[in-house]
Amino acid sequence: MESRFTRIVVENSNTIVQMWIKEIDSLKEVNYTATISDSLYDSTNREFAEVIFTSIRNQGSTNAVEEFSGKIIKLGWPLSYITDGLQAFRRVTTDFILSQSEKVDTDYFSNVLSSVNHWIEPIIRQLVNDYTGSWENILSLQRVALQELSAPLIPVIDGITIMPLIGTIDTERAKLIMEGLLQGVIKHNSEVVLIDITGVPVVDTMVAHHLIQAAEAVRLIGAKCILVGIRPEIAQTIVKLGIDLSDFATKSSLKKGFTSALEITNRTIVDLESKEEKVEKLIHLLQGE
Amino acid sequence: MTPQSFVTVYKEWDIVGARQIAREMAKELGFNVVDQARIATAVSELARNIYLYAKEGQIHYEVVETMNKKGLCVRAVDTGPGIKDISLVMQDGYSTSGGLGAGLPGVKRLMDEFDIQTKVGEGTTITTTKWVRL
Amino acid sequence: MPIPILKLHNYLLISIQTEIDDQTAIEFQEDLLDKIHKTGASGVVIDLTSVDIIDSFIAKVLGDVVAMSDLMGAKVVLTGIQPAVAMTLIELGIHLQNILTALDLEQGLIKLHQELGV
Ligand SMILES: Nc1ncnc2c1ncn2[C@@H]1O[C@H](COP(=O)(O)OP(=O)(O)O)[C@@H](O)[C@H]1O
Ligand SMILES: [Mg+2]
Repeated sequence: MESRFTRIVVENSNTIVQMWIKEIDSLKEVNYTATISDSLYDSTNREFAEVIFTSIRNQGSTNAVEEFSGKIIKLGWPLSYITDGLQAFRRVTTDFILSQSEKVDTDYFSNVLSSVNHWIEPIIRQLVNDYTGSWENILSLQRVALQELSAPLIPVIDGITIMPLIGTIDTERAKLIMEGLLQGVIKHNSEVVLIDITGVPVVDTMVAHHLIQAAEAVRLIGAKCILVGIRPEIAQTIVKLGIDLSDFATKSSLKKGFTSALEITNRTIVDLESKEEKVEKLIHLLQGE
Repeated sequence: MTPQSFVTVYKEWDIVGARQIAREMAKELGFNVVDQARIATAVSELARNIYLYAKEGQIHYEVVETMNKKGLCVRAVDTGPGIKDISLVMQDGYSTSGGLGAGLPGVKRLMDEFDIQTKVGEGTTITTTKWVRL
Repeated sequence: MPIPILKLHNYLLISIQTEIDDQTAIEFQEDLLDKIHKTGASGVVIDLTSVDIIDSFIAKVLGDVVAMSDLMGAKVVLTGIQPAVAMTLIELGIHLQNILTALDLEQGLIKLHQELGV
């Protein structure tokens, strides 16, 4: 029975493809971006049809399907292009086979349906698999990117490095932060690191614990850690929770922390010209005119 | 390297051997440098405990793999005196030998999974696993 | 194999290059105290750059060495502790509090200089 349906469909592939294309053209406006050019949409549709028919003819060859899905993923088209296309193909083909048959009873009807499903299902499965595979890929790439972003280390001047922390800190992230921090201290040969927690929304006992551990590890490798950016509400929670940060150098702002880092590294900032001197010079100049 | 192997610990120098194997296996499994140090240190602690408290025992290494993760499982087995009060030896600073008492609680923190089976007079088996961070 | 101890003016320099087993650690502790006594050294730098594992036993020996040297009038600076080793020590719960550290040998010597106020 199925081979008979296959013959009908393959022999009439041109008609079916035409009907199918008409059907999915109407979907374009509703679903997909207008940025896709008509010619690209047309050629992709034709290729899609070709892939479906190859798969029917070879009874589920997945090579062509895989190549096609790769292309669609690269184009960045939504998965719905594929699922809608295959649904439309299912409708069109079922209608077509039924229109070619004289006598249609329920048995015959269910045979047609199951044959068509049989063609479509492996394609759907393969395509959806490829798609989710690529999503997982993107997700893990994004995770790596986030991890790198999450704790940048900025060497401001010789011996002084700043690590601004932004966002929530969990145990996993705390370990990554600590690794990055220590590696960075070695790489930049830092005497002092300023950990800026202005961007950390909550400092609970767990976060404080990780910060203390980081500071102690920094001390062990031979540098000094100053915790900066302690907002009033954070100071309040720290004390209320009974967290002891007394062994820990802390400063309310990055600016103050930086000043004390300069002291530690035996440096001061000197204005080359004071404001008053500048103003005087300016007045002098104006008077001279 | 075979996925499962063990070393016998009965001399002091065996502690060094045990942790070197741990580091090698961890490296081969793709653990980063910090995790390699964590695993090697944990094995050093377990091997030393065997040497100090049970005189003799073994460290078993096993590569464990599930559908979506891979790790190293280390089992320290001895037929020594056993441990009477597990919650006591798991406290930071508790030691019967003048040590730092950081070994067992430390191993638990360094690794991802940790289990003690022990019976006084029969011996102790500590099983601990670390998973490769993806 | 014993760990070599070098003398530089009134400082002692030690660079640990081998995997330390317990016996070596204990012998080193005795050697160093002996050297401090003989030379009257006022400062010691122990460089740990090549050490890739410090467990609780070795940590205890190191901590003890520092405290004992201090009693004998010699300040000790530990240098070059690797990040992985530092993290492992912290997780073990060993903090080596009140111990001077520096990034490398050179900065260790500078630190000694500052500490001793020479
Ligand atoms: N394998 C073992 N058999 C018997 N007792 C053990 C064993 N391992 C540890 N213990 C007991 O647990 C205590 C705590 O061990 P640990 O945390 O490693 O600290 P430490 O070795 O410094 O004493 C030991 O002092 C010892 O009494
Ligand atoms: Mg122990």
